[in-house]
Amino acid sequence: MGPLIWLLLLTLLLPGATAQQLREQIRKYTLESGLRVLMVPDKTAPVIHFNLMFDVGGVDEAPGLGGIAHMVEHMAFKGTPSIGSLDWPKEKAALEAIDKARAELDRAIANRASQEEIQRLTARFNQAREEAQKLALPNALDQLFTNNGAQGLNASTGYDRTDYRVSLPSNRLELYLRVYADVMLNAVFRSFYEEVDVVLEERRQIAENDPNGALREVFLRTAFQVHPYGRPLIGSREEIQGYRVDKAMEFWKTHYHPNRAVLVLVGDVEPERDIQLIRRYMGVIPKGPDRPNLNIPAEPPQTAERRVSIEYNAQPSLLIGFHKPTYPNREAYVMDVIDSILTEGRTSRLFRRLVIQEQAALNVSASSASPGFRYPNLFVISAQPRAPRTTQDLERLIYEELERLKNELVSPQELQKVRNQTRAAYLRVLQGGPGLAQTLAFYELFFGGYQRIFEEEAIYNTITAEEIQQVARKYFTPQNRTVATLITRGGSR
Amino acid sequence: MKAIWSLLSLLTLALAQGVPADWPDPFKMQFQRLQPSVIRPTEAQLSNGLKVLLVEDRALPFVSGRVYLRAGAIFEPDDKVGLSGIFSSVLRTGGAGERTPDQVDEILETLAATVSVSTDNLFTSVAFNTLTENLDQVLQIWADVLVRPRFAQERLDLEKGRALEAIRRRNDQPTQIAVREFVRRINEGHPAGRISSAASIQSITRDDLVAFHQRFFKPNGAVLAITGDFNTQEIVARLERALRGWQPGPVNLPTFAPPQPKPGIYFLQKETNQSVIYMGNPTVTAFAPGYSELDLASRVLGDGFNSRLFLEVRTKRGLAYATGGAQTQGFGWPGFIYGASISRVEKTAEVLELMLAQFRDLRERPVSQEELELFRNSILNAEVFRFTSKQAVAERIARTQMLGLPPDYYEQYIRQIQAITPADLQRAVQQYVRPEQFVIVVVGDKRQFDRPLQSLGSVVEVPLE
Repeated sequence: MGPLIWLLLLTLLLPGATAQQLREQIRKYTLESGLRVLMVPDKTAPVIHFNLMFDVGGVDEAPGLGGIAHMVEHMAFKGTPSIGSLDWPKEKAALEAIDKARAELDRAIANRASQEEIQRLTARFNQAREEAQKLALPNALDQLFTNNGAQGLNASTGYDRTDYRVSLPSNRLELYLRVYADVMLNAVFRSFYEEVDVVLEERRQIAENDPNGALREVFLRTAFQVHPYGRPLIGSREEIQGYRVDKAMEFWKTHYHPNRAVLVLVGDVEPERDIQLIRRYMGVIPKGPDRPNLNIPAEPPQTAERRVSIEYNAQPSLLIGFHKPTYPNREAYVMDVIDSILTEGRTSRLFRRLVIQEQAALNVSASSASPGFRYPNLFVISAQPRAPRTTQDLERLIYEELERLKNELVSPQELQKVRNQTRAAYLRVLQGGPGLAQTLAFYELFFGGYQRIFEEEAIYNTITAEEIQQVARKYFTPQNRTVATLITRGGSR
Repeated sequence: MKAIWSLLSLLTLALAQGVPADWPDPFKMQFQRLQPSVIRPTEAQLSNGLKVLLVEDRALPFVSGRVYLRAGAIFEPDDKVGLSGIFSSVLRTGGAGERTPDQVDEILETLAATVSVSTDNLFTSVAFNTLTENLDQVLQIWADVLVRPRFAQERLDLEKGRALEAIRRRNDQPTQIAVREFVRRINEGHPAGRISSAASIQSITRDDLVAFHQRFFKPNGAVLAITGDFNTQEIVARLERALRGWQPGPVNLPTFAPPQPKPGIYFLQKETNQSVIYMGNPTVTAFAPGYSELDLASRVLGDGFNSRLFLEVRTKRGLAYATGGAQTQGFGWPGFIYGASISRVEKTAEVLELMLAQFRDLRERPVSQEELELFRNSILNAEVFRFTSKQAVAERIARTQMLGLPPDYYEQYIRQIQAITPADLQRAVQQYVRPEQFVIVVVGDKRQFDRPLQSLGSVVEVPLE
């Protein structure tokens, strides 16, 4: 769900010949609708890994509709008139009856109708849902793919983007296109209110009953007081309970258009042949409006340290965040390098100091671009103390290491080590599969073209020890810091 | 006239459904089942008896390898549960050959290479991954870790301390509690059903690590899978050099009686607004008679959006985000069939009964032919995905050989899957799946349950530890 994978992939370097080969193999087509299609032939096995990514996510939600992008991601699996309906005209009427019953119930609640009246309308609403269920073939979209041997059918919503993934035997290309073109044209949000309950369960599971999720939610809310990165990506419980079909459909129709998407195919493809089929189906989908101006407010500069804690039925944990710019600002790339210096591997500074030398932490990790990348974001350090050491102990040790970055230049050897690591990590991504499909979609959508992936070497290779020092001094300051602590209920930090 | 009329109605229908008239009905699209392009590793044997499976792949400048050894958690002494986990950490981090722990880390990270150790119930494996240009150096470190580990005392102390902290934290998440308790209860009476404790971790000494290494790390009986950018003959010679001095010897592995779980509801109290429910019983070992039928039955039960648990618990009723089930692969002792859900606490009993009803229904009524075909097709059409990674193929064959499975075990399995009828499936479920004998684990806040668990069966309250 979170954009965690990117964070790994963003620290990349170029591996000469291999990257050149890959670069020459990639084919890019742009349909009239603005849909960009990337194809990467890889004949290892007769399969294709698909990634369909939209530049829509949590930041695009109106206040009060938090999590609607994630809800819409779920609803895009519910099919279309020709995928999942047993009798479309009847089902259509039944779905309209649900909307009407829901609206009447909402009005009654708003007008403080009698308990009896609300019960009656609730029963009618539930009755309407049951009627509609009888006219649908549940999870028909999945059935089509499962029947055909699909692997990894899934989707994820981030703050900045949403992607739909599946891998299929390569002769099922037309099936994929028939299904997803139809979804983009005619998505039907059937079983909507059942899915609201599913999403509430998802929220309980990832944000309420998971101590890391609970801590992260208050951490982001504290660090971003204005920008939507501070809102929970899945929405608050009240927001989820308030979802209505019309609002969700409006969000879908505003945003999910071919001109705001990239489709990547990695695997057993023949670009010149396959683009014909892709045009036949995806070409039917009309171009939509551009991304509307949402007036997303910028986060004002932070002027004093912010601290927050939650009491929870779990062992202590710590998150520290510093505001920073995002790509393509050069300082964002410098932060990627700092991330590697601090937490990549056992010889990294924070791991060595906190986990090995001081035996103060079970683990420590960092992320150089959280929770999104489209807007200025955070450098986040996460650590779990080893009893009897506390989160205060960890804070002190982490700040000492950050001071060292500010006061001493990183040695050439250490810098070289980081360069080697990023280069190898990059090569591993190029090995293909779903990860490559996702990475290319991401670069095409947000970095002004997939070619950018091959141009970052120059940036990373020229980052100097002096720049690292300057960036550390500029951003790792107390007034730019947000600290969130999980305190064991009735116990220690 | 009639033909034109029907064409028109078709067109109207298609337009009414919002797609061009010449688009096919996706449910009627027919595709051939693709045959996987099978990858067959070259086999070699070193002079010390180590078997090697090799696949050359010059596409990227990498070499990967993983050697499997018969050394897993079930072979730990009863009072040292957790030893194999500590062993595998310190094998990697405790220094090797001429190098101190810090030197090993420093050189690997400077070369951007990895050497890693993993362990499970049956096997410990030592893997490496490196750019071709650094192969000699990395191969030497990998061989040192494998054959000449130093087990530095201070790194043992470090890993024990971290393991104790992990124990302290293991009740933080309800799902983690439920999985641990379920695996423990369903394997009761077998070493796989043991869990570590602070005492068992504290008792581990350096001598225990050395003894574990001496007892299990023998080249005979081990298999190395290696793929990537190399020349097969040349790399075999390099392996001989790197592993010089690794001597074969007898490895005596104990055998164990199968698990004897005690049916019932095991309840663990945790303040949370969702309950985690696991249920199931042991069945058969992997690829034994009945396995293919149970595998297919368990997919009908719990594999994905069109499985019964998903449709009934999630899609129709919105009672869970996470729900599903499977038949596990047991090697050496039976695997188990299970179902699981994470559901709001005030629906705990309702969901538990709904899940049990799905198991019972599989016993009482044959599945529809349509349902069977869906999951059968899923298995058959997904076969091509078994060959997307050369390293994964070589590793799978290595494990297969160590488990003593016949080389064509998967082809046999596929043939069985192709032949299964609804009656076969029901017979196997009736024989092996017994809801009244289930081990059921519930983690949740009983004060908020819709009904006391006692109304569903005998309950054992297990304290969190």
